[in-house]
Amino acid sequence: MTVEDVKRTDKGPALMLTNEAVVRGALEADVKVVAFYPGSPTSEILDTFGEVLDHFKDYKMHIAANEKVALETVAGASMAGMRSFTSMKSVGMNVASDSMFSIGYTGLNAGCVCLIADDPYAHSSQSEQDGRYFGEAAYVPMLEPATAQEALDMTKWAFEVSEKYKTLVIIRTTTRVNHQRGMVDLGELKRSPFKKNRWSDVKGQYFTVGAVARALKAKLLEKTVAIKKDFEASDFNKVVPGSGNVGILTAGVCYLHVKESMQNLDINLPVFKLGTLFPLPEKKLSEFLKSLSTLIVVEELTPYLETRIEALAKTVNPELYIVGKRSGHFSEMLEYNIPIVEKVLAEVVDKKPSMDYDSVLKKAENLKEILPERPPIFCPGCPHRGTLWAFRQALQQLKIRDNIVFNNDIGCYSMAFLPPNEFSDSMLAMGASLGISAGMELALEDKIIAMVGDSTLYHAALPGIVNLIHHNSNVTLFVLDNAVTAMTGQQFNPNSPYDAGGQPARKINMEKMFEALGADKIVIMDPYETRDCIGPIKEAIESDGFSVIISRRECALYGDREKKKRGEKIIPSENVKDTCRSIFACVKEFYCPAITVDESDAKMIIQRDLCDGCLECRQVCPVDAPRHLEVKR
Amino acid sequence: MSKEDKTFNIMFAGVGGQGLMLLSAILGKAAVDSGFKVMTGEQHGLSQRQGSIYVHFRIGNPISPLIPYGKADMMIAMEASEALRYVEYLKEGGVVIMSNRIMPAVTETEQVALDKEKKTKYLTVEQIVEKLEQVTSNVVLLDSLDLAIQAGNVRTENSVLVGATVACSDFPIHAEEVRKAVLALVPPKTLDANSKAFDLGLEASTGCLQS
Repeated sequence: MTVEDVKRTDKGPALMLTNEAVVRGALEADVKVVAFYPGSPTSEILDTFGEVLDHFKDYKMHIAANEKVALETVAGASMAGMRSFTSMKSVGMNVASDSMFSIGYTGLNAGCVCLIADDPYAHSSQSEQDGRYFGEAAYVPMLEPATAQEALDMTKWAFEVSEKYKTLVIIRTTTRVNHQRGMVDLGELKRSPFKKNRWSDVKGQYFTVGAVARALKAKLLEKTVAIKKDFEASDFNKVVPGSGNVGILTAGVCYLHVKESMQNLDINLPVFKLGTLFPLPEKKLSEFLKSLSTLIVVEELTPYLETRIEALAKTVNPELYIVGKRSGHFSEMLEYNIPIVEKVLAEVVDKKPSMDYDSVLKKAENLKEILPERPPIFCPGCPHRGTLWAFRQALQQLKIRDNIVFNNDIGCYSMAFLPPNEFSDSMLAMGASLGISAGMELALEDKIIAMVGDSTLYHAALPGIVNLIHHNSNVTLFVLDNAVTAMTGQQFNPNSPYDAGGQPARKINMEKMFEALGADKIVIMDPYETRDCIGPIKEAIESDGFSVIISRRECALYGDREKKKRGEKIIPSENVKDTCRSIFACVKEFYCPAITVDESDAKMIIQRDLCDGCLECRQVCPVDAPRHLEVKR
Repeated sequence: MSKEDKTFNIMFAGVGGQGLMLLSAILGKAAVDSGFKVMTGEQHGLSQRQGSIYVHFRIGNPISPLIPYGKADMMIAMEASEALRYVEYLKEGGVVIMSNRIMPAVTETEQVALDKEKKTKYLTVEQIVEKLEQVTSNVVLLDSLDLAIQAGNVRTENSVLVGATVACSDFPIHAEEVRKAVLALVPPKTLDANSKAFDLGLEASTGCLQS
């Protein structure tokens, strides 16, 4: 499908997801080294680079242990004279930013671009973090595209800016840009062969501390002035002419909502479409502000642009009335759409919106009163469902449900927060469960239990684990080893014998690692043998010191794909109704979406096309009613 | 519809794992091959199955990736309750092409199972259609699974729905272009079944829309 378009050598139109267009842009810019840690809404960038790796064979790719390592990998490649690229979700930059700030000072060599994707509405993130401040705070240029086409063009331009000024360049997107599919004009794809450099040919010095840092800072300020001049002249910062003295300033996907809202209202206000978030093209902006009496600033999340424009207007147009978040017209909450934008524009120009959106929403709400919620849920066949069930049984048998603290972490298993488990006293950030546990262990009488997946383990949990063991802490850690980074699309990680595109890699031996670190107890269990997990969990929880429960079974989605590759069939299960006694342990304690109830006889039925045949439900059933269907042939 | 002026909006709704992205890819290919511009706002999010998912699919002259409330000319739902979940996007009098399949959420199953008096029942397709009909009379309800089985492959429900879609007189892409896109994107071994499924969907929907 569109991966084919990424590979096309002819120019021309294509329908592409923005994330694919970014990959295409980087390939057109002849990128040579890429490294990523997956995270929604950027994961398809990693996945696409992985899918076409074997086709091109002229760039190197790592799935890195975390975003900081990914950024350092591409920075190292840039220092070594190779164009390089990484992308990460909003909170990924929090992890990477330690190095990013230093990279701002030292600068780099070959073009180096990093895309960060914010997630207004927190569709798949722990916060609605506004990443736009990173550019300004680190003196790193930051661009923002609105469409797939612009993302492709800006990616190529970012490499040029990066190389010209020997600086990292950040492209900032939001979920609605990453997950937007649109028409793209492909540019020329000219790839050069991959060939290693010699350090003596490319070398520079990338070192910053004290007096060196102060000298670098002075240069950085000069560099920023020069970049700003280029940005003033860039077509990515453009005024779309209109009539009247009410104007709009916007960037990213909001520009599209603004354009369509104006079409709906049949108005044509002048619009400043901003493409560079840092440095801002202040001269161009000032000229625009001078011509207006009212400016509407349309941006999601914090009033980043609005406060900067207010400061600018103070000198160039002190009378300017600014409509934005501080005036109460727009919210700092959630994600914007046409109705939100159109309503404010309509109010300012004193027109009626093209539709009474509020009454449409109200009517829909009434119609939906009968509709049950569909909460997120573990997939059929998910090993976590069994692990958590056994964990609950162990707590019940030990009678300690009210004497534990459970610190959860980032992964599919974050859903332990939801029924039927309803644990999770905390869940903050990758690997945070360990540090939080350290503090709680100092301050609480209760048993402290933490949970991480294999990818989170290697991403950011290791320092926290070392810290707990070093301090002789009494903590039990669950490691849910499902072979891959499941939540973001089953990518490989240091727990896999593979890297991007299926390249061979070395799998880290988890139990040996814990042994070497000095864990007091290590138990390994199979959550598909669900009942047999209760004993080892109890044992680990009751033992002194740092105990580790490795619950090992591959992610069902990944496992199914591997089965298909091997030509194996998935054999679904059935509920034997003569055996079933309508106890409903499989319903109320297990929450498998393949399980429903037959209203005619109040017995459980398994939806065959949804069932993964894991038979965890048989383990949970007191009378062993579910069994595999008999397969013909 | 000329290729420049108007935008035709389709809201896809379904449950993770049903193949909504393939459906979107098929219509995307058909539209582009017919010379239309396309823009979508897709929900990829996290990769668990059985969650509620949607695609905003816009053909013609779309600017924003998101359909405004009340402006979807058509809704294609692979799961019946998901049609109702996104009803705020549906235009008054718009067309709903929906499967009669319901995949109950586990929390609903729990309520049904634990009600000792057996008064709590699953939400029915009839209840859903009754609500949708308060927005439009053009609701096409298909037994997509049965039609897929008739076509010879249970996994061709997508093609049934696509076939049903082209029966709608406002739908801007020519039926044969859509069929070509279906056959280009489904697994080669399933071409016959998918073509048959497409026809069965087309026939079933034509009947509904004329009545």
